[in-house]
Amino acid sequence: MAGSMHLSRLRKWFLASPPIELAINNLKELLVGALRQGPIPQHVAFVMDGNRRFARSHGIETVEGHNLGFEALARILEVCYKSGVKVVTIYAFSIENFKRSKFEVDALMDMAKVKLSQMAQHGDLLDRYGAKVRVLGRLDLLKPDVLAAVNRAVDLTSRNGDRVLNICFPYTSRDEITGAIRETVEDYSTPLSSNGAARTPFSESHIAHNIRAQTLGSKPQDLHSDSESSSAGSSAHDDDSVLRGERPHRVYESGSSFSSSTTLHHLQQDGQHKNGNHGNAPTDEKSAFMSPETISRQTLSDHMLTKGTPPLDMLVRTSAVERLSDFMLWQCHENTEIVFLDVLWPEFDLWHFLPVLLGWQRRISKSRQNPDAEGNFAGDSPESSEEDIDSSALRQGKLKAI
Amino acid sequence: MVSQQERDIIRAEIRSRGEKLSAQDRENLIRPYLPDPSDLPQSRSRASTANSSSSHSRRQKNQKTRRTPIRTFVKSQIHHLTYALTHIIFGIIVRLLQAYHAVVERVFAIVYHHHRTPELIRKDVRGLKRLPQHLSILLTLRTEDDALAVLMDEVAELVAWSACAGISQLSIYEKTGALKSCIPALHQIITTKLASYYGSPSQQPNLQLFAPHHPIFGAHSNPRSEVPPLTLLLLSATDGRETMVDLTKTLAEMSQNGKLSPEDITPELVDAEISEITSQPLQPETESDRAPINIIKPEPDLLLIFGPYLKLDGYPPWQIRLTEMYCTGDRSHGMTGYGEAVEYQGFMRGLWHYAGAQMRFGR
Repeated sequence: MAGSMHLSRLRKWFLASPPIELAINNLKELLVGALRQGPIPQHVAFVMDGNRRFARSHGIETVEGHNLGFEALARILEVCYKSGVKVVTIYAFSIENFKRSKFEVDALMDMAKVKLSQMAQHGDLLDRYGAKVRVLGRLDLLKPDVLAAVNRAVDLTSRNGDRVLNICFPYTSRDEITGAIRETVEDYSTPLSSNGAARTPFSESHIAHNIRAQTLGSKPQDLHSDSESSSAGSSAHDDDSVLRGERPHRVYESGSSFSSSTTLHHLQQDGQHKNGNHGNAPTDEKSAFMSPETISRQTLSDHMLTKGTPPLDMLVRTSAVERLSDFMLWQCHENTEIVFLDVLWPEFDLWHFLPVLLGWQRRISKSRQNPDAEGNFAGDSPESSEEDIDSSALRQGKLKAI
Repeated sequence: MVSQQERDIIRAEIRSRGEKLSAQDRENLIRPYLPDPSDLPQSRSRASTANSSSSHSRRQKNQKTRRTPIRTFVKSQIHHLTYALTHIIFGIIVRLLQAYHAVVERVFAIVYHHHRTPELIRKDVRGLKRLPQHLSILLTLRTEDDALAVLMDEVAELVAWSACAGISQLSIYEKTGALKSCIPALHQIITTKLASYYGSPSQQPNLQLFAPHHPIFGAHSNPRSEVPPLTLLLLSATDGRETMVDLTKTLAEMSQNGKLSPEDITPELVDAEISEITSQPLQPETESDRAPINIIKPEPDLLLIFGPYLKLDGYPPWQIRLTEMYCTGDRSHGMTGYGEAVEYQGFMRGLWHYAGAQMRFGR
């Protein structure tokens, strides 16, 4: 026991000695510079797990553990931004975390406040070098002083370059998804009529008349083709409103039965929506809404807190807990590579991250050479010339390896 | 990449809650780590040069290009070389690991073979501290001609192993939804498979098979069964985002008709709606067909991914909040290529891994 402690102290002293430190730093720079040459994930998310366990196992205070975790974050952010990652999203605080001891919550909040207000003191430096800081989550759950610090930091960095740091502050993914649904519903519940005040070249009753005539005649295919999702066969759901009254919790049993209204009403909405697209929204219609049928996956994605960022390429969670814990559920369930590492967050460094990045580069390069292969998914796409060099270099490398 | 001495200064500063150093001190501390302003392609510096006289800016530009062409060239060449070298070394390591894991895998396959005997499988899970109540498995449809047949056989094997291990709720996710279109055939194949494990029908577990928006199949095919029944849920990509979109459409329509206010939409409401379609099948229309159905727990406890690395591939997002994930090919950060085949030892490894995991809510 004592021997191992001496050994670790010796190791620490050795690593901290100036020449070794310089060599290690140069090696890191070199590796990061090398990583830049290949494909790089555009958006990486981290779950910073293990601060408390690190503190417990090293016999230090929990708050100290969180401080060390912050250092690890700074370290890894440097690696990410230098190697070309555009957006980094971190899980700083879950809504569930409010259930922890008041002392720890206060300490974490305090830490966030100090860091953010320090950031605000370096306004011009941040302007020149800094990334955009955005805070995602339920800001209304924060105390006013923390909220003020958050707002100041976000405002100050809002004009910065193309690098983004998303801090998920009091956040859970279910809350985010629910919020996105709520906002979408709100959007679609706002009458369209408010925006097109003076221009109504078409009479609405005339349109309705036309639609009625068309419905009585042949099936109006052109109207359907305009709406995004297939509402074909909606005439078969005329009796849906009756069914719905009886079994309100079975509304989506047949996949396309959301039209509680009758066919005609639905068509009317479609027609008006089409009109609205052409910039001719009717004015005097009270209940003119966008058709809910135009809601798509993209609509919901655009209402998520991460809107406007590239798709999540990689999610890293430390400390060998193999759950998402309500983080980025919507963003990571399609093409994201999820990596669980058996290392506590304060110890996390380039050495743990490097194999992950190399594996990702290897897979992306392979899938580019052979697009039909399994596991192919769209990563970033830098200039084709660079990519060709990369893949040829890799191919040569593999030939040598074989 | 900070030196130890400076790190100590920063730590002392953190301990004093940021009151020890002034803003100026901190800027001095980090200045050496910032890149040279001239290296950055900044709109501001460009704008300032444009403001000054044109000859001056040209001179500056010349200076800039003259100053570093060789250095940048050498630097980029070194980086290219390092990139190639790292990937060669990495490739060798990956191949070695692959070979090693392939050997280990074969040994496991021989040592742990189920021999289609429920007792052996039960013995394999006996020592485990916990078993998932609801196990979910992600499979991929291959591209060959007989892919669907292979997939159905894999599903049948997995159902048999789960039944033997004592897991009563199983869900299988396959992206395209090909399985959903042939539920009766699948039921037939699984029953045949179960017969080859269990023998006579009275010892077979009762199998219930359903998919969201589909009626339950095989609700009471074998009422005299002595083994606990098993429920199998089939999922596909449309049960993920598409279902969320459908829910939003319905809610939007209700809101438009004044039946609901947007403030009523809470995580609890969404959870209730989303959970329901994956937890209970549709009841058969006629009263006489109605049989006792065990309701599936909406959130799976363990998600097994048979693939080279962990990618959810469109798995329903809402339900996996606290689900443990285990990828059969994931022991080396998913960089090795093995683990696609559905094999018994992969299944067992997932269960063992789950039993050893430490469950903590709220991180």
